[in-house]
Amino acid sequence: MSFLNLDHLQKSFGSTQVVHDFSLSVDKGEFISFLGPSGCGKTTVLRMVAGFEEPSEGRILIDGQDVTRLRPNQRQIGMVFQAYALFPNLNVAENVGFGLKVAGVPRSERASRVAEMLELIGLPDMAARFPWQLSGGQQQRVALARALAPRPRVLLLDEPLSALDAKIRVSLRNQIREIQQQLGITTIFVTHDQEEALSISDRIVVMHRGIAEQTGTPPQIYNQPATEFVAGFVGKLNLFDATVLDRASGLVSLAGSEIRLNRPIPPGRVSLAARPEGLVLAETGIPAEVTGVEFLGSVQRLRARVGERDIVLDRFNTDASLPQTGDRLHLSPELSRWLLVSHEQ
Amino acid sequence: MKRLWSWGAIIAGALYFLLPLIGTLEFSLRMRRGEYSLDAYRSVLADPAFRATFGYSVAMALLTILLGVLIVVPTAYWVRLRLPRLRPVIEFITLLPLVIPAIVVVFGYIRLYNTSSLLPLTGSATGTNLLLLCGYATLALPYMYRAVDTGLSTLDVRSLTEAAQSLGAGWVRIIGNLILPNVMGAVMSGAFLSFAIVIGEFTMAALLNRPAFGPYMQLLGANRAYEPAALAVIAFAATWGCMGLMQLISRLASVRRTAR
Ligand SMILES: Nc1ncnc2c1ncn2[C@@H]1O[C@H](COP(=O)(O)OP(=O)(O)O)[C@@H](O)[C@H]1O
Ligand SMILES: [Mg+2]
Repeated sequence: MSFLNLDHLQKSFGSTQVVHDFSLSVDKGEFISFLGPSGCGKTTVLRMVAGFEEPSEGRILIDGQDVTRLRPNQRQIGMVFQAYALFPNLNVAENVGFGLKVAGVPRSERASRVAEMLELIGLPDMAARFPWQLSGGQQQRVALARALAPRPRVLLLDEPLSALDAKIRVSLRNQIREIQQQLGITTIFVTHDQEEALSISDRIVVMHRGIAEQTGTPPQIYNQPATEFVAGFVGKLNLFDATVLDRASGLVSLAGSEIRLNRPIPPGRVSLAARPEGLVLAETGIPAEVTGVEFLGSVQRLRARVGERDIVLDRFNTDASLPQTGDRLHLSPELSRWLLVSHEQ
Repeated sequence: MKRLWSWGAIIAGALYFLLPLIGTLEFSLRMRRGEYSLDAYRSVLADPAFRATFGYSVAMALLTILLGVLIVVPTAYWVRLRLPRLRPVIEFITLLPLVIPAIVVVFGYIRLYNTSSLLPLTGSATGTNLLLLCGYATLALPYMYRAVDTGLSTLDVRSLTEAAQSLGAGWVRIIGNLILPNVMGAVMSGAFLSFAIVIGEFTMAALLNRPAFGPYMQLLGANRAYEPAALAVIAFAATWGCMGLMQLISRLASVRRTAR
C-alpha cells in the first residue's frame, strides 16, 4: 500500500467541474510533480490534499488514514505557497518555529529544531531578520523550513519558484530536491514549467483540463508521451502527415518513404511524431527543405518544411558546415525514436 | 499663485481649528480678575465629581475599544477571507451608526431592555453600563471597521491563514497571533477615534443616566463660567495624552520589528 492515496477525486465549483476522476498513489519519500498549463486544476488537487478544498467525490488517504474529512490544521501537511506567505510580524526564527509552538513543543527543543532547519536551508545567520529584510529566494527558503520544521507527513509546494528570477529558480529547485531527498519526505510539487518538472521529479503527472493525462517518470513522459497533449506540452514536438499501411506490424508511409515502427499501432486516430533531437539527416529518405538555421552554441537548430508541415531539427554542434536556408535535405526514416501520439477523442 | 492659494487654505484651516482652542485656553486662565491663573483648573481638579466622571468615561472608552476590537477584527477578517462579495453590504451596515442618531439607538435600547422586558438591563447599574458600552461600541463601529479593513487590505489574508492552518493553528491563534498584530497600527487609529467619541459623548450617557464625563461637562457648563473652559482643555489634553500613551505602548511592542 502506498503512502499517499488520492482515490477518484472530483471537484466542482458550482456547476463547473474542474477536477475529473483524479487518482494517484504516491510512495513514501517520492517526489511527484503536477505539470500542466494554467487553469488545469493542479492547485485545486493540491488544495484538496491540504484540506483547503473539500472534494466533491473521492477520498484522500495518508499512511492508510482517511483524511478526507479532516480540517487542514489536523492533517500534518507542510505547504509552501507561490507568494511565500511568511508571517510579517514574526522574525525568521519565529516563523520557522511557529508550527512547533502550535504543537506545544518546549522552548529549548524548539530553538534547536529551528537552528537545525536554518542550517538545512543555508540561512543560519538570518534567525533575527524579518521577512521584509530578505530577498525572494531567501523568503521562500524560510517558508520551506517553516513547512518542514514540524515534520509533516507530506510536503506540498504550489509553484514555489514562479515568483523568482530565472537563476535563483534553478538553484532553488535543486536545493528543494536535495533537501527532499535528505529528509526522505513525500512531496507534491506543482508547476507549469516542464523543465522544472523533468529535472527534479521521481514521477510527473501531466494534467490537462482537470484530468491526469499521463503519469510516469520524466524519461517516460518525454520519450513515450501517451497523448498528443502530453507530447506537445512537454518538450517540442514535430508532427507528420503519415499514412498507415499496416496497423499490426506498424508500417506507415511518409512522403514516399516507408517507416517501420516495429510495434503495433493503437486503434483510433494517431499521429507520427518526433522530437527535434530525434530527427537525423541522411543521404536519402524523407525530403525536407530548410527554411531557417539558428546557431544556439552547443546545438544547431534547423527549421524545415516536410510536405505541408513545418518542423524543427536539433543536432549537436560539430565541425560539419551548417546547412543554408533553401537547402534540400533528407531525413532518415530509420529512427528508433519515432513517436506515436493518440489524438483526443 | 497656486502656492499662495494652498498656503491660504492651510492658514484658514489652522485658524478654524486652533482659534477656538486658543480662545478656550485663554478664557480658562482668566478666572482671577486682571491676571492669568490656573484657578479654574484647580477648582475643576479638586471636584470629586470630575474625577469620578472622568475616570468612568476613560474606563468606558477603554472597554469600548476592547469590545470594538473583539467584534471588528474577527468580523472584518472573516468577511475578507470567506465572504468577500458581502464586503459592500457589511461596510454599509457599519456606516449606519453615522446616519442613525444616537438618541434613536438609546430609545431603542430603553424600549427593548426596560425593567418590564425579558432582559431588564436598565434595571441595574451593571446592566445599564453594559447597554451604554454596547451603544458606544456602535458609535465607534464605523471608524473601527474602516480602520481595520484598511489594515487588512495590506495583508494577503488568505495565504497567511492557510499557511497558519497547515502548520496546525486554529482560529483563535490565527486571529490573535497573526492577524491582530499585523493590523495593530490600524486598530490604534480606530481606537483613537473611539476614545475621542466616548470621552465627550453626551446623549447616550445622559439618557441612560450614567455618571459619565459628557453630562458632567454639560452640568458644569450650565452653572459655572471658567471651569467648563478648563474642563474642555483638560479633556482635550487627556484624550491626546491617552492616545500618545497607547501609541507608545504599541510602538514599544513592535520596536523589535524595526531593530536589526
Ligand atoms: N474557488 C474557486 N471557485 C471557482 N472556480 C475556481 C475556484 N478555484 C479554482 N477555480 C477554477 O478551477 C480551475 C482550475 O484552477 P486551478 O486549480 O487553480 O488551476 P491551476 O493551479 O492548474 O492553474 C480554473 O478554471 C479556476 O478558474
Ligand atoms: Mg495554480
